[in-house]
Amino acid sequence: MSRIGVFVCHCGLNIAKTVRVSELAEFAATLPDVVVAKDYKFMCSTPGQEMIANDIKEHRLDRVIVTACSPLMHEQTFRKVLAASGLNQYLLSIVNIREQVSWVTHDIEEGTAKSKALLNGAVNRARLLAPLTSRVIDVNPDVMVVGAGIAGIQAALELANTGKKVYLVEKNSTIGGHMAQFDKTFPTLDCSACILTPKMDNVLQHKNITLMTSCEVTEVKGFVGNFDITVKQKARYVDHDKCNACLACTEKCPGKGVSEWDEGLVKRKAIYIPFPQAVPQKPVIDRDACTYFIKGKCRLCEKVCEQKAIDFEQQDTSTTVKVGAVIVATGYDLMDTKPLLQYGYGRYPGVYNALEVERLFNSAGPTGGKVTLRDGREPQAIAIFHCIGSRDKNNYEHCSRVCCMYSLKFAHLFKEKTSADVYQFYIDMRAAGKGYEEFYNRIIEEDVKFIRGKGARVAESADEPGRLIVEAEDTITGKFIKLPVDMVVLSPAMKPRADSKDIARLFNLSTDKYGFFMERHPKLAPLSTMSEGIFIAGVCQSPKDIPDTVAQAYGAAAEALTIVVKDKLELEATTAMVNPASCCACLNCVRVCPYGAPFFNEQKGVSEINEALCKGCGLCASVCPSSAIIARHFTNDQVLAEMEGLMEF
Amino acid sequence: MATSFKQIEEKLKTEAAKLLESGSVSLVLAYGKGYDEKHPMPYVAKCASDVANIVFNEFCTYNMARYLVRYPRGTKIAVAVKAADSRAVIQLIQEEKVKREDLVILGIPVSGMKNPKTGETIDSKTTCGLYNPVLYDVLLGEEVHGQPVVSPYDVLAGYEAMDKDARWAFWQKEFDRCIRCYACRKACPMCYCDPCFIDQTKPKWGDKSPEPAGNLMYHLTRFHHLAGRCIDCGECSRACPVDIPLYLFHKKVAKECEEMFGQAAGMSIEDKPALVNFRVDDSDKILE
Repeated sequence: MSRIGVFVCHCGLNIAKTVRVSELAEFAATLPDVVVAKDYKFMCSTPGQEMIANDIKEHRLDRVIVTACSPLMHEQTFRKVLAASGLNQYLLSIVNIREQVSWVTHDIEEGTAKSKALLNGAVNRARLLAPLTSRVIDVNPDVMVVGAGIAGIQAALELANTGKKVYLVEKNSTIGGHMAQFDKTFPTLDCSACILTPKMDNVLQHKNITLMTSCEVTEVKGFVGNFDITVKQKARYVDHDKCNACLACTEKCPGKGVSEWDEGLVKRKAIYIPFPQAVPQKPVIDRDACTYFIKGKCRLCEKVCEQKAIDFEQQDTSTTVKVGAVIVATGYDLMDTKPLLQYGYGRYPGVYNALEVERLFNSAGPTGGKVTLRDGREPQAIAIFHCIGSRDKNNYEHCSRVCCMYSLKFAHLFKEKTSADVYQFYIDMRAAGKGYEEFYNRIIEEDVKFIRGKGARVAESADEPGRLIVEAEDTITGKFIKLPVDMVVLSPAMKPRADSKDIARLFNLSTDKYGFFMERHPKLAPLSTMSEGIFIAGVCQSPKDIPDTVAQAYGAAAEALTIVVKDKLELEATTAMVNPASCCACLNCVRVCPYGAPFFNEQKGVSEINEALCKGCGLCASVCPSSAIIARHFTNDQVLAEMEGLMEF
Repeated sequence: MATSFKQIEEKLKTEAAKLLESGSVSLVLAYGKGYDEKHPMPYVAKCASDVANIVFNEFCTYNMARYLVRYPRGTKIAVAVKAADSRAVIQLIQEEKVKREDLVILGIPVSGMKNPKTGETIDSKTTCGLYNPVLYDVLLGEEVHGQPVVSPYDVLAGYEAMDKDARWAFWQKEFDRCIRCYACRKACPMCYCDPCFIDQTKPKWGDKSPEPAGNLMYHLTRFHHLAGRCIDCGECSRACPVDIPLYLFHKKVAKECEEMFGQAAGMSIEDKPALVNFRVDDSDKILE
């Protein structure tokens, strides 16, 4: 005989508007073994918790059912109430009548009926719940940061400054990310390099940071507190331990590659450092551009290298790194605007994307900071198109958040560096941020022309060869505009990295439909993910500007610290175990486990489960044909009893 | 010209004797005499002198891969397999129940096998319809040319024409006959669970006496456990004393698995068991 207490939460009106909560409590009271059933406005509040604690004592409850929101939200809250009342915390069962009932119906009859069915099942299962003991594990104190743009750099520095060892993994040959490509940053117009490069150097010099450039994560094993991460070091063909960065090789190299850093506007050598302030400031060989790798002859770099650092035989290598927590900060790509044929990007030399224009402004860029067109002319009229692919149901529905502001910045810089007329084609001006509206007002004063209407088309001018005609509807005057310009700047949508879904799979992250990583909770856990111990920061989560990215990096560092600062971590007791007498050694469990917890014991001829690795997901139990695997807290008996309870309705 | 049954029998005997004499295997799984010619039996030759008892004729339908899992891991075994039987061996290798290097596979290319009960020729109606083994070390005869023109799934046409309710009624009716002799489970090379879920008491998945609900539970769960694993040898249906057309359900599931995952069970030792292997390009059809 169990003594079950049922506590029904109204969640304000969240639940109460589509579930008759008092009727549900009355119904619960009629169920066998239920000795007390109550409803209350906010069960998670202090008075709500006290009510449960008092009833546990008063009615000598040995099982507690809370009928409220998702267990993700408040299971921990209520478990603490049980523990404080001297009851094993696993004798709690949560029935989710918010996300699974009240939020998915408008019909109070249906809502109440489904809640009753769920509760009936939960009472059936609660009788069979068993007390469990949590496990305690050691925590690895190190952290890995994946992606070394401004978010990754900032997070790594923060963690390293607290004394934690940080592995900073970057797939490119230099750190810095997109921010290193910018010239000025809005709204203060301070120089991007001036604020970024000191941080890059700090990373290189920091004794607690192990910098891993030209590296990619290929496998993630383990769990919060104890990740085993395999990192592939891609062959650089230059031994960075020997190289003294004299760069004689880059002078002699006859190979021609496309400069990624200059957005393809210029060529670079096949052995190269991406830009003068790159970190590490040591060259790598681009295999696809190297004459030796293409034709089998050359090796000029090898001849001029006094340090004998060139190594054409270098291979990709793999290392395994053990860390306690991970921050993923892999950033973004710009949408490819070539498929949007109406804008002529890639066809008309006068059409640029935003990152290319960033490079034109930059004194270290292909034009030395002068704004000239591809044919060397200085533009006389420039159109800036906002929202290309963003806020567009056919491409990306989201607002990319930074384009309005950088377009204003571009306008300012065009005005400063040329005598051109500058036209902004916008849908709405979005200037929400500290000092942003002020910046907008300042640019209005600078004789920039604002046309409220999305740029519709770019065509070649029939009358003046080399010029472009832009078309748009001015939605304020309602007139169609045709405007001759020399240069069109597209502000393409920010999209997740092309390989973001692979990264998501590696780290067990969820993504939205475009591939941006999902946070655990949009408001209350914006940097955590559904994978414990894995955090996200920066644009890999959603488009944002540098201030927000940096703020997230600090936050993610703090989040990671909450894990690695502890010596020990309490793990869920809800793991799986094998009953060896029933195991038929089909190895299904070994194959399906995403955490590598089950293994085959050759000697005994049965599967066993490494409980330290088990997350209690129950996959193994569900594929076990002979029911040899018992998922604690979700045993077959418990689940079947719950299902029977459900099916009585 | 296909090799005759007698020739195959001779070759089987020769190979078995050679393997046992050299000690490269400790047993040979083949066929032996039954109470008459129409009823040969599974036979295990353990020494060279046993070889004389080996027979092979058109009634040797049993899938000898069924017996591989009976012996301790690492036992060196030679097994005589026909086309579908070889797929069972491959599937067992995929599932790591046996190791390729522990096996000598004696492939039998054959057409015109006969159902001992009815005398009917066995074709792609109740089996996968292949004539030649998919994997073998020694081929006991010449490959049979001219594969069957019908697909092993053609027999499903009538079944697939039924709607949901009709199928439900059909299986209820068929399973009502089941006497729970478990001959299907015993004949099946992929049914190696010990204990079988239906024999368990905690939890008790279904009633053990032959009654409709327990029969449904047993058969539907068994079909489910064989999804993506059934190699379509048809032995379950031939073993059934009350002639339940089990092959229909197995074929239907096999067809769906093949369409969904682009792989038929037991066709390559490089494959991974489809239902417990995640591939990035796996079909999401099941979720739709």
